[in-house]
Amino acid sequence: MASLLTYLLRRILFMIPVFIAVSVITFLITNAAGDPIKLIRLSFKTLTPTQLQQLISFYHLDQPLYARYFQWLGEFLTGNLGISLQGGTVADKIVPWIGTTLELQLLALVFSLGIGIPVGIYSAKHQYSKSDVAVTSTAIFGVSMPTFWLGIMLILIFSVYLHWLPSFGFISPYPPYWWGNYYLDAIAHLILPVLVLTFVSVATIVRLIRANMLEVLRQDYVLAARASGLKESTITFRYALKNAVTPVVTIVGLSFGFLLAGAPGLETTFTWPGLGYAFVLAATVLDLPVVQGITMIITLLVLIANLGTDLMYAYLDPRVRLS
Amino acid sequence: MGQELLRVDDLHTFFFTEAGVVKAVDGVSFSLDEKEPLGLVGESGSGKSVTAQSILGIVPRPGKVLSGRVLLKGEDLLKKKDSDMRKLRGRKIGVVFQDPNSSLNPLFTVGKQLTDVVRTHFDISKGQAFEKGVGLLKLVRIPEPETRMTQYPHELSGGMKQRVAIARALAGEPEILIADEPTTNLDVTIQAQVLELLKSLQRELNMALMMITHDMGIVAEMTEKVVVLYAGRVAEVSPTREIFSSPKHPYTAALLKAVPRIDKKASLMSIPGNIPNLIEPPAGCRFHPRCKYMTQLCVDQIPPLEDILEHRKVSCHHWKELSLESEMAA
Repeated sequence: MASLLTYLLRRILFMIPVFIAVSVITFLITNAAGDPIKLIRLSFKTLTPTQLQQLISFYHLDQPLYARYFQWLGEFLTGNLGISLQGGTVADKIVPWIGTTLELQLLALVFSLGIGIPVGIYSAKHQYSKSDVAVTSTAIFGVSMPTFWLGIMLILIFSVYLHWLPSFGFISPYPPYWWGNYYLDAIAHLILPVLVLTFVSVATIVRLIRANMLEVLRQDYVLAARASGLKESTITFRYALKNAVTPVVTIVGLSFGFLLAGAPGLETTFTWPGLGYAFVLAATVLDLPVVQGITMIITLLVLIANLGTDLMYAYLDPRVRLS
Repeated sequence: MGQELLRVDDLHTFFFTEAGVVKAVDGVSFSLDEKEPLGLVGESGSGKSVTAQSILGIVPRPGKVLSGRVLLKGEDLLKKKDSDMRKLRGRKIGVVFQDPNSSLNPLFTVGKQLTDVVRTHFDISKGQAFEKGVGLLKLVRIPEPETRMTQYPHELSGGMKQRVAIARALAGEPEILIADEPTTNLDVTIQAQVLELLKSLQRELNMALMMITHDMGIVAEMTEKVVVLYAGRVAEVSPTREIFSSPKHPYTAALLKAVPRIDKKASLMSIPGNIPNLIEPPAGCRFHPRCKYMTQLCVDQIPPLEDILEHRKVSCHHWKELSLESEMAA
């Protein structure tokens, strides 16, 4: 246990330079987007010189870049994400959207693991059977499908033609609710985006589990377990699966972070009010404080996801704790 | 010698690969008595390991046992259902594999891997199984067995790992221990220790031992009877003490001359050619392309495995005419 704890501490220490690097890059890129004052003037054409001066000192634009970076970072670390150019604090704009993004991604993750692992095992145990070929072909289809296209097709079929499901948003703002009440309404809104996300990531997981399982089932320790008289189910689901799932944990953990950052396409398709969609909205109006805030929040989420992955990996594979 | 315990009779195990049918074991027969240490000898690809896997019914895909009989105390194992075979694996026959680095599961502790086997074959509690695991580690001379139980394979040395693998093979208290090249992947000094351990365990526990090896030195050290395999067939069966002085098959003689010896000046001989392709093996005697005594008969006809002398069998058309003893003495 002690080794697991030192391992955890070491992983956390490793996160700090990553966080600093991302913050520097984010800050530099957003500042390279243009003179913030010019951007503000696009929306407020009639600023008096006094107001302009106030804005400059409010955003510390009279100070050098590095000083502004440290100010910004300090504020961020104390929880103050700044003020949106469209009014209101950045935090107020972002925080509620984190929840909706996580709701979508976590649900899709649970479903894709729940479906992907058993299907992958089945496929490996019945290599080259008809069902294996069917699974593998569907998986290739899923891996190569752009989410936005799949999303649009599903909206066309289930919302536009069949009127079975809502086409956008995460809840109906006022009655009538889908399927009669508020909670079912939320579920109705979740179905299509979760379906798209699940389909795409289940394909990856099935392929990984199948490949790893095939590899592991060939190993001597599986043969040795069989030669020792262990039950086939014990061999498959304990001895082999634990070995096959360990690399999948890494991939899923890393891609989960990637999903958070890469969700804008899907969230925009379904007008899903999450971080990705918020990012797209803020970027199109050059609301740089919001863009910065979202980037940093996603960075944090990715780092947390990576830490979770590392821990899970160390928990599963005792050899990792040593290195 | 004691009663006959295991008899392998005209066993055929083929692998159906994309390149063709590999006739890995093609009519192998031999027997193993109670408490007998037997050597199963041959080059890589001679069908030693596949024979062992066929006995246990664990031939990996795309391999398949096509015909023959494997009689354990008169019962044909090849006719048994897999669920019945499972109860027998580890319980009647234990196996030690070649490489302990790959035969132990890296993600489970030593204790877990031992107690899993113990609890598969005996209806006992977790605590009792742990005690039995500790006992097994003591049996294979591992110091601090209680600590070792909680460790993972990567925390142990190579020799220690192979001892754990031996302990696992003994967990079901088998009557036959199959050791499939158990020292090939170990350091030389460790090899001697592991062989010594296997030898004394075989006597202590009154087990029959099937030692699969390509090393005639190990055969001499460990066994009382030897079965020489060549390209999926039996070349010769003999008591160990006789085979070194008077081999009857030219392949055995060549194999013996390929063993370095301190007491003789003769230079080390290698066997010319390679082990044949088992998809299209040579017709007649499979050794004929490499045999210096080869005649047309060897190409045309498969030599039968003849009973010669007492306890000896050979599969060679010309065994009577050859004087391999004098060749060995030279």
